[in-house]
Amino acid sequence: MDSTDNTRNSSEVQNEATPECLLDGEAAYWEFLGTCTQCGHCTKACPSLTAAEMTLGDIAKAMLAAERESANRDDLAIAIAQNPRLIQAVRGCFFCTTCKNTCFAHNDVCDLIYNARVDFQNLGLIPRYAWTSVQVDQEWDIFTAYRAIYGIYLGDLTRHVATDDHEAESDCEVAFFPGCSLAAYAPDLTREIFETVQELGGKTTMIDHCCGSPLKSAGFFDRAEALCDKIAAETEFSGVKTMVCVCPGCANAMKATFAQHGLDVDVQLLPGYLSEHGFAPKRPLPDTPLCLSKSCQDRDGSYLEETCEALEIDSDIPTIFHGCCGAGGAVSAFDPNRQANQADSKLSFAEDGSTVITMCPTCTYTYASQLLSAPRNISNKHYAELMFENQFDWPQVFAQLQGMFEGEYGPWLNQVFA
Amino acid sequence: MTNDMKNECGNDSTLAPVAIIGFGTAGVNAAIALRQAGYDGAIDVFSDLDTLPYSPILTSYYTGGIKPFDECFPWSDQEIDALALNIHQDEPAMELDVEAHTVKTPQGSFPYSKCIIATGSSPTTIGFPKDCGYEPLVLHSMDDALRMKAALENPRCERVLVSGASMVALKVVEACLAQGKKVTLVGMNDHILDFNALPEAAIRFERNLEAKGVAFKLGQTIQKVCAKPCEGHPEERVLEVSFSNGDAEEFDEIAVAHGMKSNLDFMKPGALDKDQGLLVDEFMRTSNPDVYAVGDVAQALELTSGEKRIVGIWKNAALQGACAGKAIACELSGTAPQLEDAYRGSISSNTIAVDGTLFLSAGTIDPGANGEVEVREDDNMTVVYIYRSSDDGENRKLVGFNITSDTDEEGGIAYDTGAMLTLRIKEGLALSHKS
Repeated sequence: MDSTDNTRNSSEVQNEATPECLLDGEAAYWEFLGTCTQCGHCTKACPSLTAAEMTLGDIAKAMLAAERESANRDDLAIAIAQNPRLIQAVRGCFFCTTCKNTCFAHNDVCDLIYNARVDFQNLGLIPRYAWTSVQVDQEWDIFTAYRAIYGIYLGDLTRHVATDDHEAESDCEVAFFPGCSLAAYAPDLTREIFETVQELGGKTTMIDHCCGSPLKSAGFFDRAEALCDKIAAETEFSGVKTMVCVCPGCANAMKATFAQHGLDVDVQLLPGYLSEHGFAPKRPLPDTPLCLSKSCQDRDGSYLEETCEALEIDSDIPTIFHGCCGAGGAVSAFDPNRQANQADSKLSFAEDGSTVITMCPTCTYTYASQLLSAPRNISNKHYAELMFENQFDWPQVFAQLQGMFEGEYGPWLNQVFA
Repeated sequence: MTNDMKNECGNDSTLAPVAIIGFGTAGVNAAIALRQAGYDGAIDVFSDLDTLPYSPILTSYYTGGIKPFDECFPWSDQEIDALALNIHQDEPAMELDVEAHTVKTPQGSFPYSKCIIATGSSPTTIGFPKDCGYEPLVLHSMDDALRMKAALENPRCERVLVSGASMVALKVVEACLAQGKKVTLVGMNDHILDFNALPEAAIRFERNLEAKGVAFKLGQTIQKVCAKPCEGHPEERVLEVSFSNGDAEEFDEIAVAHGMKSNLDFMKPGALDKDQGLLVDEFMRTSNPDVYAVGDVAQALELTSGEKRIVGIWKNAALQGACAGKAIACELSGTAPQLEDAYRGSISSNTIAVDGTLFLSAGTIDPGANGEVEVREDDNMTVVYIYRSSDDGENRKLVGFNITSDTDEEGGIAYDTGAMLTLRIKEGLALSHKS
């Protein structure tokens, strides 16, 4: 039947205008576009979106519009590069999901922004300096370099990997996953936790890898997945049935990885594991008001409850809820001020004289950095520091981080991370 | 089928088009999913609109003067054009003949290979006195919003009666307050949001609304409406309303939110299995394998009850439309729909902010026989947790919550808490369904 007058036949437009698929995330943008009402609540929930004057749906729209206007990938890269609002919205995202929480439809911002970061990376829109030091799937990243320069050796704990000290062992009960920041900046605390985990749960090995989060933030999604595949293979080889993570983000990544690989490994956050095994903290709580800082990766708040239980504190304790500490999404490489402002904003919730308890060691690092540059009358402790003897020594860590670029290894680091 | 009869995507090019009846959220998402899944055959869309698809969520913002008309349409011309659709605007389906595989419209009869019914729902005014000489305002479509906005912007309109206590009724209250009107809400039950909120949360929301000038007539209904000329302005009329408790009061407009009805009048009785809406399986297929139903016409899995129910919210319509589109693309390419693409079911989830006070809910308010309700309150927020337990009292799980917050801070703790609890409900239900 012929089209009638009121038929709007758009197929000719489509056939003439359709370019080759230039965006890797095209399907994700269309999917997001379909579910966004354009109500604008997400914009008001996020300073970055507010600065960009964009909704999440606008990000999907802008990516697809840039593709429609472009004949090839070079054109596309230019079209996006000339849209500073889009760049702000994509690179200013912490992945904290505050916008998603406020969204009436709870639309998945992480999927949207990860796809946009991948497209940005593939189009050369994320400068090298933003990611060269956090290529955590390579031999050298900021954490491995720090450990090498300052002689931090934990190879004896990675039992499932053959080293000069031991053969690879595949009869472990538990895997301990400390994450990058803890292993690098608090090796003694890492070792102490490892020993406790082993004492409580049996033969333990340490998975000494990053969960891949920095790679995802930089738009290397496939490389992050490959790293997780490697972790899954090591975990399977080790024979463990339980993995204990320190950071909620690492725990989420490992849960997703094992589900994807069909591995029957129970992933627990350290506080839950310790409570389950009747562990009592080795030190009393500080004699100050306490303030918990919920990890934005603790999406349903269950890790927060486990942490309260392990620390034997009331779950109604004042809590810094919404938003990121400032470290998420590699925003510091795009807008250091936004990171600092975010950290300061989070810390402003804490009562004067109180101790802020963080759940992710990178949050602890970020708050420590902020408190060094803009002091407040607040202590900053990772929950593990309140349960174990060893502590982070932040002044030393920051001095060493600065020193490694200035000392004899400086030229090498500057070359490796150029 | 021989290979040369298939196009690049494996679709049979000799097949009749895919038909989408209705062009709201569900229909648009079905079209997007069809294209993204590689279907490049013809898609006929039959719409009763002569505009781009609108967002019903935004109609109250438009009515209240918070958003301009142009911003109520989530998808642009270019985006819709990119989907390569044959859109039959202002051409609603009059009949769907599932045996003959045709959609009949005022302009003719159109064949289809697969059909998606996405006709949505319309407000019902059931219970409002008929033949009173006044057609009450309703709020759903852009036409409804245009009429309501014009009424509220009439300088002579000062007093508005809102009948109903649902989310839609409160959206109308929001619009009226934004337009500076004096609002009275009449509801047949003792508290507002009777399907979504337990009294502990509803009372706080009522208190907050009263502080903003909203008057309540709860436990009452409208008995009679008499439209009579306005004193001194005979060209205008005033509405004298009698309530079930014997009170009478005058209003300038009445808005009714007495529920929604699926738009299925074009279906022959018995053509498809139907309850409140069309019964569908996990790929949104109706009892006829070539007909799918999505959005407010579809009765699909609701997770807290484990039953098939209509859950008429935007996100469900979008996900169901996408599910149907993907499944059809698979079927037309000769493969079965993939289990990972099945519709996983939904829970009811609502958010409403009225003039700076906020209510959030998800799941059910029914704790069941062994369940319990916990209430936590502080200076700013009331959180009601609804738990259910198994018969032996073990396995307590969260199945619903209400949050009333005295403030509406985007990105604030109320939204954060609501998102956390929604996730917990979903995780708990997912575990139950797995086991």
